[in-house]
Amino acid sequence: MHDLGRIHQLIVPLFGHEMTFNIEVIVMTWIVIAGLLVFGFLASRKRRLVPGSLQVIGEFFIRQFYDLAEDALDKEMAKTYAPLICALFLFLVISNWLGIIPHLEEPTKDLNTPLSLGVMGFFIAHYAGIKAKGIKAYAKAYFEPVFFIMPLNVVGEFAKVVSISFRLFGNIMGGSIIILVVSYLVYSMVLPPLLNAFFGLFVGTIQAFVFTMLTLVYISVQVK
Amino acid sequence: MTIQIVDWVQTGAMIGGGLSVGLAAIGAALGEGYTAGKASATLSYRPELAADVMKTMLIGQAVAETAGIFGLVVSLLILFSPTSGATMLTGWAYLAAGLSMGLSAIGCGVGSGFPSANACEGIGRQPAISGQLTTLMLIGSGVAQSTAIYGFLIALLLVYKSFPDTATVSAICSLLAAGIAMGLGGIGPGLGEGYAAGKAIGAAARNPETLGVMTRTMLVGQAVSESTGIYSLVVALLLVLRV
Repeated sequence: MHDLGRIHQLIVPLFGHEMTFNIEVIVMTWIVIAGLLVFGFLASRKRRLVPGSLQVIGEFFIRQFYDLAEDALDKEMAKTYAPLICALFLFLVISNWLGIIPHLEEPTKDLNTPLSLGVMGFFIAHYAGIKAKGIKAYAKAYFEPVFFIMPLNVVGEFAKVVSISFRLFGNIMGGSIIILVVSYLVYSMVLPPLLNAFFGLFVGTIQAFVFTMLTLVYISVQVK
Repeated sequence: MTIQIVDWVQTGAMIGGGLSVGLAAIGAALGEGYTAGKASATLSYRPELAADVMKTMLIGQAVAETAGIFGLVVSLLILFSPTSGATMLTGWAYLAAGLSMGLSAIGCGVGSGFPSANACEGIGRQPAISGQLTTLMLIGSGVAQSTAIYGFLIALLLVYKSFPDTATVSAICSLLAAGIAMGLGGIGPGLGEGYAAGKAIGAAARNPETLGVMTRTMLVGQAVSESTGIYSLVVALLLVLRV
């Protein structure tokens, strides 16, 4: 029980500084990326008017997320941002499902993964805002409703990154801690597979979708 | 002397763990029950929509349970963390972590029940847009949980921060005050944001053309009502980091 919340790290000294690598997380992320690349390759290899089964799944995902992006943004901007949204969801959902395979762990269990994706979403949203409205209208939004509220608006923007990434991290890490503790208490009998199905498949899918939709919504708030 | 400190840390851990999961359970359970009640009321006049309403109810309840799960996780982390190398302040930090997580989860649990309940009701009114309503519900109750997530952040900081060996009265008070600030500050925004999201979903279900306007109004309103939670987060961070 004492390795609760511990992670394996590789610390490389480099010119007097120390570089830390969380090896498990990096390997698991590579597994997810490799899985997605193989899926993408197989789904688009033989494109036909009468699609094969993998092509149907791929087209279903693309269509759903283009529709969602068109609802939130307008049609032109949806073309720019829908691929991002689609890729983000597929990466997160496969990451969250990875934990149900024995000996593999969710990359999202480590705060670094959700936080870096959250920071990425933050920069993309603000870039989109500046590009769509111009720097003047973008900066003016911080001084509303009254000018002295500006520092709190800035803190609020950073708090969005905290809340979006800690929501995903807390749910996935929380699920894995609960599974670990319950497995320890019941000697790994009966309950763990059911808990894995609930936290891995059900909560994992919902949280991946929530993260994706919030990134999309933050972009749409900035551009309008 | 060492034994006394271990006892002290364990006392703090037990009370903190109990507070965290106990208080968090109040909000999450109320929110989930409210959702289930509204779903039953909807099904009483639209029994043919059972599949859609049940699906939305279960997803909404899973999201509303997030606050309760955070409470359970913080309580497990506190109870199972090693007591070796702990100082006098660690016990107080555990107590404060329990307060921060438990109290802030009350409002968010109830708050994220409102959008789920209104989405179930809305699907009974407008079955054609059930997909959009479920998406809006997920966004709304996700944002309504922000303050519980800030409480979780403060609790994690309190559990994993290393403290100096000597415990001064002002350090103990800072830790407890951080827990109380984040915990109490998290209740109101959770309820308020949940109310905003619930009403926006209800309005979108009455008049589906306004879905886009409602999403934006909901987000702006939630951002403003969250500002008091952000004040609490800033104060709690300042209090924790000064120890």
